[in-house]
Amino acid sequence: MSNEEIIAMSASPMPAAAGIGLRAPHVSRVLRERPRVPWFEVHSENLFAAGGSLHGAMERIRADYPLSLHGVGLSLGSADALDSLHLKRLVELVERYQPALVSEHLCWGAVGGRHSNDLLPLPFTEEAVALLASRISQVQDTLGREFLVENISTYLRFQDGDYTEWDFVAEVVRRSGCGLLCDVNNIYVNSVNHGFDPRTYLHSLPRDRVREIHLAGFTRKDEFAVPLLIDTHSRPVDAAVWDLYAEAIAYFGPVPTLIEWDQDIPELEVLLAEAAHAEEVLDAYRACTA
Amino acid sequence: MRTAPALLDLQRCFLDALYDAEETGPTEQLVDVGIEPAARLRIYRHNSELIHLEALRTTFPAVAALVGEAFFEHAAAHYRCMQPSRSGNLQAFGEHFPECLERLPNVQQFPYLGDVARLEWRRQVAVLASETRALTRAEFESRLAALEGAARMALHPSMQRFVSAYPVLALWQYATQPTAERLTLPESGDRVVLWRSEGEVAMAAIDSASFACIDALARGDTLDAAHAAASAQDPSFDLPACITSLVAASLVTEIIPVQPEESSSCACSDI
Repeated sequence: MSNEEIIAMSASPMPAAAGIGLRAPHVSRVLRERPRVPWFEVHSENLFAAGGSLHGAMERIRADYPLSLHGVGLSLGSADALDSLHLKRLVELVERYQPALVSEHLCWGAVGGRHSNDLLPLPFTEEAVALLASRISQVQDTLGREFLVENISTYLRFQDGDYTEWDFVAEVVRRSGCGLLCDVNNIYVNSVNHGFDPRTYLHSLPRDRVREIHLAGFTRKDEFAVPLLIDTHSRPVDAAVWDLYAEAIAYFGPVPTLIEWDQDIPELEVLLAEAAHAEEVLDAYRACTA
Repeated sequence: MRTAPALLDLQRCFLDALYDAEETGPTEQLVDVGIEPAARLRIYRHNSELIHLEALRTTFPAVAALVGEAFFEHAAAHYRCMQPSRSGNLQAFGEHFPECLERLPNVQQFPYLGDVARLEWRRQVAVLASETRALTRAEFESRLAALEGAARMALHPSMQRFVSAYPVLALWQYATQPTAERLTLPESGDRVVLWRSEGEVAMAAIDSASFACIDALARGDTLDAAHAAASAQDPSFDLPACITSLVAASLVTEIIPVQPEESSSCACSDI
């Protein structure tokens, strides 16, 4: 598929509104109460099993809400091979649920058949750009649709890169013709961890390819001489990230935005309140541009 | 002049450090500002260890409760090194945990632990098994009436069987739903069947004859053969009652006629 064909297919049925990541503790309540949430995102791997109660629940939820599938285990940047079985499962899932968006991370997680099951950083090299562009093209061709990739948070940097992080992300998106899932929290976390201006990062991204935004909370590690933020998805979105999100919306325009919370998961109301905050930012932008 | 390693070499070196604290990892390739590279790598090793620990804790809650937090962390760390994760899908992590657990020196004085872990892995298999529509009572009876020869029965894919020399069901229930009362364990072991029912895993300890019947059916034996296996355990075994229970629990998905050349006897006259 050419980049032009992929872009032509990208007209997304996902509303430019604030959805939430649907996690196991909230599934039964969502089924019972059908809260006013514009869309949900689920981790693809949680639905990889052939059966189980989650499929039954998700089929009912999918009937009433737009859905985004977000992968954490494809390991696009592994230098040895793409896991063909993992990709096959993803294809089956996409065919079954017809999600509005399908995404993964710009990272690696496994090599030689061993998996860290974490999102590991890549060097910002030409070799890594070429590998990712090739892999993403393979995934898009296999899925027959646009695929989104997400910038990750990192706690180390490799020397000898050919790109800055923001140019690396932009170049991968440009070469592969994929969409971008811009995690604003990850940009902020990395700006603190590696010492750069997050606005420079934001304004270097290809805004015509941004299909989704992620927001989440981080934690601070205090045992080091310099600040270090860990992307734990365990707290409310930080005030500095809300500011950066407002700047992102001003630059990208209204984009489907997701509240992620994966550890110490609170009551659904907390997530709904975070989503309402994101809606206020989207509404404020629309009011200014009306 | 230092040359950057190829990506594959870099990743192998990085992953070695995540699985082995003695491996230094690619510290020479990392930017050394503010926090030393080895400490930055330790963050990733710790994250990966935590991810695998949580995956095992989710799959083996009874084992975790029985051995306590500190020992479970030790067992999980050992397992992770002995049996690295082989999938980007964490639901597959833990298949060999029971055997690994049994080999730990301090576990040998608790010989039932391995079987509690095996029961929990079968629960995981039952949770993730594919969905197949079960026959209703009316459908079952209609198919049965139409049968003219021997038959096999297809059971629901979530159905698992497990035999233990220990009372694993009572141990599992005590570990996951502890009571103030002291646990009195039966001296005999358990024959357990597990299946998925309305999204949850159901478990039942059953008698040896019923277990022999279900085990034979699950292995693809004819009803005749299953009846014979059960009767060898208990001559008064009630085949119709056993099959009726399976149908009532939505565990029979099909009745498969056996071709005449496979068997000439009818297995269903008793139901």
